[in-house]
Amino acid sequence: MIDLLVIGAGLSGLVAAQTAADAGLRVRIISKGLNALHWSAGTVDVLGYLPDVGTPVEAPLGAVESLQRPEHPYRRLGRQRVEAVLSDFVSLSQRLALPYKGAAAQGINLLLPSPAGAARPSFLAPEAQHNGNLREQSPMLIVGFHRLRDFYPELIAENLSRQGYQARAAFLPIALITDRDDFNTVQLAGAVERPEHVQRLGKALQRLARPGERIGLPAMLGMERHNEVMAQLQKTTGATIFEIPTLPPSVPGIRLFRRLQEHLRQSGVRVEAGMEAIGASTSGRPPRVDWVATETSARPLRHRARYFLLATGGILGGGFASDHTGRVREVVFDLPLSVPQRRNSWFRTSFLDPRGHPVFEGGVRVNDAGQPVDEDGHILYENLWAAGDVLAGADPIQERSLEGIAIATGAAAGQSIVATHTAVNGTSAVPNGAAATSSTRNSS
Amino acid sequence: MKRIDTEILVIGGGATGTGVAWDAVLRGFDVVLVERRDLTHGTSGRYHGLLHSGGRYAVKDPHGAEECIVENQILRRTHAHCIEDTSGFFVVTPEDELSDYPQRFQKACKEIGIPCMEIPLREAFRREPLLNPSISRVFEVPDASADSFLAAHSTVNAARELGARILTYHEVTDLLLEGADGDRRVVGARVYDEVDGQEVEIRARMVINAAGAWSGKIAAMGGAEVTILPSKGTMVAMNHRVVNTVVNRCHMPSDGDIIVPSHTVAVLGTTSITVADPEHLKIHAWEVQKMLDEAEKMVPGISQARALRAWAGVRPLYQERYEGGGRDVTRGLTLLDHKKRDGVAGLLTITGGKWTTFRLMAEATMDSACEQMGVQRPCRTATTPVPGVDQGHYWLGHRLHDVESERLQGELVCECELVTRAMVESAVRHNPTLTIDDLRRDVRLGKGPCQGGFCTYRAVGILHEMRQRGSWKGAMGDDEASPARWEAAYLQSPAHAAHEDGVESESDAQEAETPPFVPNLLLRDFLQERWKGVVPILWGQQLRQERLDELIYLSLMNADHLPDAELASPVTAFYHFDVTVRAEEPAHD
Amino acid sequence: MTAHTTSWHSVGTTLDACIKCNICTSYCPVSAVTDLFPGPKYVGPQAQRFREIGQPKSPDSSVDYCSGCRVCNEVCPTGVKIAEINARARAQMVEERGLPLRNRVLGRNELLGRIGSMAPRLANFALQNPVGRLLGEVTLGIARKAPLPRWSTEGTFTDWLAETRDARLKAEKKVVYFYGCATNHYEPFVGKAAVAVLEHLGYEVLVPPQNCCGLPMLSNGEFAAGGDYYQRNVNKLGRFARDGYDVVGTSTSCTLTLKEEAPELLDLAGPDSESLQRATWDIFEWLRERHEEGELRRDFQDVEMVLPYHAPCQFRAHRVGKPAQEILSLIPGLDLRESHARCCGIAGTYGYKAEKYEIAMQVGAELFDFVREQGREVALTACDSETCRWQLEHGTDLPSRHPIEILAAAYGLYDLETRQLREGG
Repeated sequence: MIDLLVIGAGLSGLVAAQTAADAGLRVRIISKGLNALHWSAGTVDVLGYLPDVGTPVEAPLGAVESLQRPEHPYRRLGRQRVEAVLSDFVSLSQRLALPYKGAAAQGINLLLPSPAGAARPSFLAPEAQHNGNLREQSPMLIVGFHRLRDFYPELIAENLSRQGYQARAAFLPIALITDRDDFNTVQLAGAVERPEHVQRLGKALQRLARPGERIGLPAMLGMERHNEVMAQLQKTTGATIFEIPTLPPSVPGIRLFRRLQEHLRQSGVRVEAGMEAIGASTSGRPPRVDWVATETSARPLRHRARYFLLATGGILGGGFASDHTGRVREVVFDLPLSVPQRRNSWFRTSFLDPRGHPVFEGGVRVNDAGQPVDEDGHILYENLWAAGDVLAGADPIQERSLEGIAIATGAAAGQSIVATHTAVNGTSAVPNGAAATSSTRNSS
Repeated sequence: MKRIDTEILVIGGGATGTGVAWDAVLRGFDVVLVERRDLTHGTSGRYHGLLHSGGRYAVKDPHGAEECIVENQILRRTHAHCIEDTSGFFVVTPEDELSDYPQRFQKACKEIGIPCMEIPLREAFRREPLLNPSISRVFEVPDASADSFLAAHSTVNAARELGARILTYHEVTDLLLEGADGDRRVVGARVYDEVDGQEVEIRARMVINAAGAWSGKIAAMGGAEVTILPSKGTMVAMNHRVVNTVVNRCHMPSDGDIIVPSHTVAVLGTTSITVADPEHLKIHAWEVQKMLDEAEKMVPGISQARALRAWAGVRPLYQERYEGGGRDVTRGLTLLDHKKRDGVAGLLTITGGKWTTFRLMAEATMDSACEQMGVQRPCRTATTPVPGVDQGHYWLGHRLHDVESERLQGELVCECELVTRAMVESAVRHNPTLTIDDLRRDVRLGKGPCQGGFCTYRAVGILHEMRQRGSWKGAMGDDEASPARWEAAYLQSPAHAAHEDGVESESDAQEAETPPFVPNLLLRDFLQERWKGVVPILWGQQLRQERLDELIYLSLMNADHLPDAELASPVTAFYHFDVTVRAEEPAHD
Repeated sequence: MTAHTTSWHSVGTTLDACIKCNICTSYCPVSAVTDLFPGPKYVGPQAQRFREIGQPKSPDSSVDYCSGCRVCNEVCPTGVKIAEINARARAQMVEERGLPLRNRVLGRNELLGRIGSMAPRLANFALQNPVGRLLGEVTLGIARKAPLPRWSTEGTFTDWLAETRDARLKAEKKVVYFYGCATNHYEPFVGKAAVAVLEHLGYEVLVPPQNCCGLPMLSNGEFAAGGDYYQRNVNKLGRFARDGYDVVGTSTSCTLTLKEEAPELLDLAGPDSESLQRATWDIFEWLRERHEEGELRRDFQDVEMVLPYHAPCQFRAHRVGKPAQEILSLIPGLDLRESHARCCGIAGTYGYKAEKYEIAMQVGAELFDFVREQGREVALTACDSETCRWQLEHGTDLPSRHPIEILAAAYGLYDLETRQLREGG
C-alpha cells in the first residue's frame, strides 16, 4: 500500500507529492486530466493586488500580515512559512534546470509584460520571463510572428510604451520555424528546437534588433531544449532574450509541469492522468478515509493509502461542481464549503470588479495543518489534507496568488503529512533522494 | 455642422428600418437610414430567430398568422440565404392532451392556409431523438430558423448598392419641425455622429420612425404621443443544438414554450414582462428557471445540459390606450400616420409586428409615405431577392465545410464559431466597428462556448494591427472610401472571405485618421458585454469556463490594469446595467 | 440500422463539458506531426456542434485522421469523451458516404484470421512478399510497409485447446478467458501463456464459444456490423458473467470493447450487456486484484533483462493505470523501463492504411527512440496489445512480447525466445 495518495496533478499536488517523496513516503498522484499550469503564465504569482480592495502590492511577503481575512491561506501559514517554502521552490527549480528568479531588490514583485502589454505583478519567474522584468530600464523590441493568433506584438509594444516603458514591435514570418499551416505554441516550441530553426530565428532577430535592446518573443522558445534555445538565441543576437506568455496552451507552464513530473518519476512517484475521483469510503471514529474511488471503463477502482491529499482545484480545476439551484459541492469527499449557496450572491455587476466575485472566494476550510475542518474547527477526517485552489479564504485569480498559494499550501500539507507519518512510525523517514529511478529493478 | 439632404429618412437600423430603406430605395427614392448603435443592436438582434409559419398564432390571431405564412413564403425567396430550413414541430405533451387545442390548431392552420401535417411519432423521434417520449402527437409546419443579423446586413447592402446611405452610430437628438401648431411638419432630424463626434442635420421629405421600442421617444420629438409597451422577452441559449427542428408546444402561446435551433445553439424562449424602459434588460433568476422548466416538458433533461447565455429583447408592443399586459397586447403591425392622427405631417411611425413580417411592415409604411407625398410607386420587395440568395438556405455545417475544404483551421480567430481572420478583417473594413460586439453580430465572433475567452484578445490584436496599418478604413459610410464592393450577404462564409482581396495599407499610420475604436476599450467592453449575458446562467460547466476566462484576462493578461481605464464607448454604460442575479420574483404578466 | 439512439448520456453530449482550453490539442500525437488532422478539440467537441444527421453535405472528413489513441481523453480536465465523439462522427461519415473496401477488409479481423489459418504458409507468403504487398497497396490502399501479422503455422489457439483438453486443470476456482482474434490466429502462444499462468494460480480456465469483439469495425465506422458482433458475444458470454465468473482477456482492445466501447458507442444497454461489462477484466488488471488480495503466487524465477515496456493506448481508455507494469515490477531481476511515449502510432488498423502509414511511423518515433535510448543490451520489448507489438517490432527491429509471456516465463512456464510452453509447465 502506498503512503500518500494525492488527488490532483496541479501545482499544489505536485509540490506536496515531491515534499512527501523527498521524506521517503511512497506517493502516487491521480488526476482526472491536466491542470491550470497549462493555462497560466508559468510564473509564480504570490500576491499582486490586495483582496477586496485591489490595491497593487509591492512586496507580497510583507503584505501577508496585513491580509484582512483570517482564513486566507497565507495568514494561516504566516509570512515565515510562506517565505521558506518559496525559497525551497527556488532550490527545486534549480534542480529541475528551470531556475525561477525574483526581483533584484529582494521581496518585491517583478513586473512582467503581459500578452496585452500590461505589467503583471509576479514574484518569481523562470529566467526567460525574468529577463523581461519591466523594473529594468533597457528598451524592448517585441517580436511576433505573422499568422500566430495567440500573440500580438504591436498591441503589447503600444501598451507598454503608453505606460512609460520603451518598446517597439516587429514581425517575422512563421515560415522561419515551421512549414505548418495550422499550429499552436506547443507545436512551435517543438519546431523551434531544431538547430537550423534556432539559427534562422537568431539571425533574423539579430537583423531586427538595435543595440542595447532586449528582445521579447512569444513564450515558445523550446520545450525540452528550452535552455539551449535561449542560450543559442542570446549568443547569435548578442542581446538579452525574454519570453512573454501567450494565450493557452502555456509553454512555460507546461515546461514546469513536465519537469516536475519527471522529477517525481525519478523519486518513484507516478502521475496517473485520466483517473477521475468520484467518491471515497470513510469509516471509524474519529473518521478516516479508507479509499478513494476512481471511475473506470467497467467498475470503480479503489485507491487505498494511509494519507490522502485533496488537490483537485476549485471551480477552475473541477474540484467543485455547481448547479442552477446555487449549490456548490466538493466532488470527492463532499466536504462542507464556505461558498455562498445562493446564486444571487455569487457575482458582481462588473466583470473586472477589483473585489472579485464572491463565488470564487469560498472553498474548503482547513486548520493550520491544512486538514479540512467543519464550521466549528473540528477535523473531518484524521488522514485527509487539502491544498491549493480548493481552499477557502482567497480568490487567487483576483489577487494574483494562484501559484503562490498552490506552492505554499502544497508544501505545507506535504510537510504536515510527513510530520504525522514520522510521529506514527516513531522514526524519522528516510529521505530517498536519488535512490529510486524511473526504472524499477528488483532484487530477489 | 454637416448637412445631408434626402427624400426618405429612416430612423432605426433593425429589421423594420432596414426593410423600409430597402423598400424605399427600390421605389426609386433617395434614402438615408440612421441607427444610434449598430444594425440590429435592438430587438431584431435579441429575438429567438424564428421565421414563423403562422402556426403559433393560428388559433389566437388568425389574421396575424396569415400574414406570417405569406411573408414566410416570400422571405424564403427574397432572403433565402438568411434562413435555415429547419421545419417546425408542434408537439402535444401530456399536459396538452386534455385540451381541444390540437384540434383547433389543425383546423385553424387549414383555414388560414398554413401547411400542417401530422407526422408519425416514430418519424418525429427518429428526427428528434431527445423529444419527450410521452409526446402523443406531432404536427409539422414550415417554421424555420432565421439569421436576423445577416438579413439586416444583406438588406442594407442591397439598399446601399442602389444608393441608400446607412449611417450607424448616428443617434437622433431631435426632429426638425416647421410650421405652426396644427400644421406642423417634420422636415428632418438632427443626429449625433458617435464616430466622428459631430452633429449632422438631415433634411428629408418624409421621416420614418422605425425605432422599435424607442419609437415613442422619437415620436415625442415630433410632438406626437405614442405609447409603446416595452415587453421584455428573455431567452436562453444552450451550448449545442439539442434539436434540429423548431419545437413548439401545441397549446395557446405562453412563456417558454418554444425551442429554436439557431446555428450552433438551441434558443429557449421566451417570457413576456412589461418593463418601464427598453434599456432595462435585467434578467431574473426565475425567468431562466422558467425557460428551463418549460423546455423540460418538450425535451426532458435539457435543464441539466450546459446553458451558454441568456439575453432579453424588448418587443415594441403598441396600444392606443394601455390596459393589461404584454401577452394580450396586439402583436400585429401598427402604422401611425401622424398627419391624420396628430396633425404632424412628414412623419410615420411603424411599430409592433414580428421579424417575420418586417417586409410587409415596410411595404405598408412606404405605401402610406407615397400617398402622403402624392406619388405612386409600387412596392417591389416581394419579388426582388436581395443579393446572396444564390447561396440557398444556410445549413448548420456550412462553416465547418468551408473551413475543411479550404483548410482554414490555422486561420481561425474564434474557434468555437469558426470565424477566420479574413472574416473579421472584412467585416471591420466594411462596417463601422466601435465594439467587438459589432463583430459578434456580423460574423458570430464570441458567440460560442467560451464566450469570448480566447477570441476577445485575438480580435483586439487584429483590430489593433489594422489600425496601425490604416486598413480599418473601408466603407465607413463614405462611398469614396469603399475600396471594393462588400458582399455582405457572404459575411458568414469563411470560404468567401478567404478569397476576398484584402485592402493593404498604402497609407501609413501617421496619415490615417483616428479610427473609431480604442483597443483597450474594445477589450474591456466586450469582456463586460459577454459577462452580462453569462451571469444569469452561470453554473456548472459554464461557470468553470468563466473561471478559465478570468484566469486568461486577469492572471495572464492583467487586463484590469491596462491604460485607457477612464475611457468609455457609446455602449459601455449599456453593458454595465445591474446584471447580478436577482432571485425575487416581481409581479409579472 | 441508424447508427445509434441519442440520449443525454450519449458521448456526443459530453461536448458540453469542453472549455476550449486546448490541452488536448497540445498533447495530440497525430496533430503534432500532420496538418491533415486539425486536433482533437477541433474535430471533436468543436466540430460536433456543426454536425447533424442529414445535412446537404458531410461537413468534414478530417476526423478520419483521428487514430483513436485517446491521449486527448486522458489529458482533458473536463471529461469530454473526445475520441468517442470522433468515432461517432466517423460512423456518420461512413453512413453518408459509404465505406472503402479496404476498411471493410481491415475490419473483418476474424474472417481474415480464419481464411489465413486454412493455409497459413500460403497466406503468409501472399501477404509478406513485396509483390503481394505492392498489390495490396495499389488495389486496397493497405500500406506496403506496414507490419502485417503472420498467421500461426502451428494451428490456432482453439485447436491447441481442443488438443490439450485432457491436460487442462480442473478446479473449483474458475475464470473465463476471452482470447481475441489475434491470439487465435496469429499468436496462439499468448493464449497458451495466459492459460498457463491462470492455471498456475489455481484457476480452471473456461473458454466458451466467442467471436470477434467488433472493435475493428467500430473503429472504421461500421457501427451496425460491429454492434452485431458485440451482441453475439453478449449472448454467448452474458450467462457466465451473470453467474459471477470473471471474464479476463489478453487483448486490451477486446476487453475494452466488451467493457465499454461497444455499449457506449452504440448506446446499448441491458442486463446482459451490463453484467458482461462489470465481469470483464484485462488480465493484468485482474492479476493486480489478486495481488492486492494476496492471492498472487510469488514463486518467480529471476528474469535478468532490461525490458522496455510500453502500456498500450487502450489502457488509457480502461482508466485502470498500468497494471501490467505493477505486476511485472514484482519479478526479480527484471529491469523494467517504463515508456512515457504517447502512442506507437499503429492505433489498431490506422497505420495499415497507405495514407496514414507515414503519420503512424512519425507518431511512433517517440516510442522507438525511447527503446533505443535504453541501450544495446535491450533484446526484447513488451506491450499488451498485439498490433502495438507488431508496430514496435517494425519500428525497432526488436522482438516484442505480451507481458503475460514475461510473467509466464518468470513462473518458469514459458520460453520467451521460442514462445513455447515449457515441459511440465
